[in-house]
Amino acid sequence: MSMLSNSLKNLFSKPATRRYPAVPANIQPNCRGRIEYDMTKCIWCMMCSRRCPTVAIESDKAAQTHKVYRMRCIACGACVEACPTDAITMLEHYADASYAPTIDTYHQEGPIPKPAPKEKPPPCEPSEAPKKA
Amino acid sequence: MARTTVVPIGPQHPVLVEPIHLRFEVEEEVVKGVTPVIGYNHRGIEKLMENDFKKNVFISERVCGICSHQHSTAYSQAVERVMGVTPPDRALLIRTIMFELNRIHSHLLIIGLEADAIGYENMFMQCWRDREIVMRLVEMVSGNRVHYSMNQPGGVRRDINDAQQKEIEAGLKQLEERFADLEQIMRHDQTWNSRLKGIGLLSKKLAMDLGAVGPVARASGVDYDIRSTRAHPYAAYHMLKSFKPIVHEAGDTWTRMIVRMEELYVSAAIVRECISLMKPGPITAEVKGNPNGQAWSRVEASRGELVYFVKGVGKPVMDRVKIRTPTFANIPSLGPMLMGCQVADIPPIVTAIDPCICCTDR
Repeated sequence: MSMLSNSLKNLFSKPATRRYPAVPANIQPNCRGRIEYDMTKCIWCMMCSRRCPTVAIESDKAAQTHKVYRMRCIACGACVEACPTDAITMLEHYADASYAPTIDTYHQEGPIPKPAPKEKPPPCEPSEAPKKA
Repeated sequence: MARTTVVPIGPQHPVLVEPIHLRFEVEEEVVKGVTPVIGYNHRGIEKLMENDFKKNVFISERVCGICSHQHSTAYSQAVERVMGVTPPDRALLIRTIMFELNRIHSHLLIIGLEADAIGYENMFMQCWRDREIVMRLVEMVSGNRVHYSMNQPGGVRRDINDAQQKEIEAGLKQLEERFADLEQIMRHDQTWNSRLKGIGLLSKKLAMDLGAVGPVARASGVDYDIRSTRAHPYAAYHMLKSFKPIVHEAGDTWTRMIVRMEELYVSAAIVRECISLMKPGPITAEVKGNPNGQAWSRVEASRGELVYFVKGVGKPVMDRVKIRTPTFANIPSLGPMLMGCQVADIPPIVTAIDPCICCTDR
């Protein structure tokens, strides 16, 4: 198609862009937006803060809090992969824009849960492990 | 008698997307000399990469936003070579698919920018609109439009499932229709041809002497494409049967863009072939211990040959990572290209080498 017919076609067709935020953005289902903790599952193994390439997670076991520096987080998903109890999930929507660097604090109430998923599967895992050995 | 005037262009200039300083010696309207000055975008990434070798993948991606996957592939390969790990076939194929999708969006970007450089805004908008199709595909697979975070030493982090493969194929079909449109314009449109044909000439001998790489070298008749180098196979290119590098002889700006245009089709064909070769299996191999030793790896990034050298001393922290980027190799050939051209032809000639100063300065 020549440029002229292309231009005419574009002139009478719908715009290629969408009028965000009036129309919602076209976010893909497994988009890496931001991380979210489920504090009931956290067993304080510290793998998330250790694996984070940008030092965006500050974990304090004594105070039972995770601090997530949203401006540092690059949403790479290393912490999500590292978490043994699936306490971290990657949400599709990005962290909201703000005037100051956002620090989200996730606090855990009550005693630290036992590393359940590691002990719960024992019925199958230990029986599998000796087989391999 | 003509007097020599010095015209500085950059580091901030409407023509340049990124900061490079070019000092032109101009007699009337004719360029008589050019001095490129780089280093305005230095971020010390090589020093920063003296870091945990697994975390470095994310840094290497951030060397450049356009060729992010190509940087992380080169880095991961070099680390794999040091540690003696061979990624599974499926991982290699996924890497190659992302690599070529990356190339498609990079080439569409530069074709658009070239149109912008000659003031052809209509075509610029069209290229960038078509680029959204491939951006959507990469976002669907990796979860991000720019930094895919797909690679890790030993394989890839995300799989491409059957539904996604089908969607990629549908997207490619849609893209190829758009490529045909673009090709029509790039071959026959009068504005495009009269601005680009016959300017910025680079002979084959000069291209080889100055060490030009990528589409710049291939447009001058140098058959140099790492993807076809069987002696140094990388990713899944050694498994492909259909791949042949695009080489043209003319060596002018127009040919450089045509090489990129034809590579779009080649990339789409490679992605299709990779999808047809995909077999179920693991996507990552286990990486044990710390890197001890040194290795280098090279890949054919969208701008040309990209080389990574890594050195580990048995600690998790890398001792040294050296990056040689394609634009760094192509800047010397800007000199002979620009010599004797009109001042008005500077923007299309400079844009046609696809300068990525972000990579060059690191």
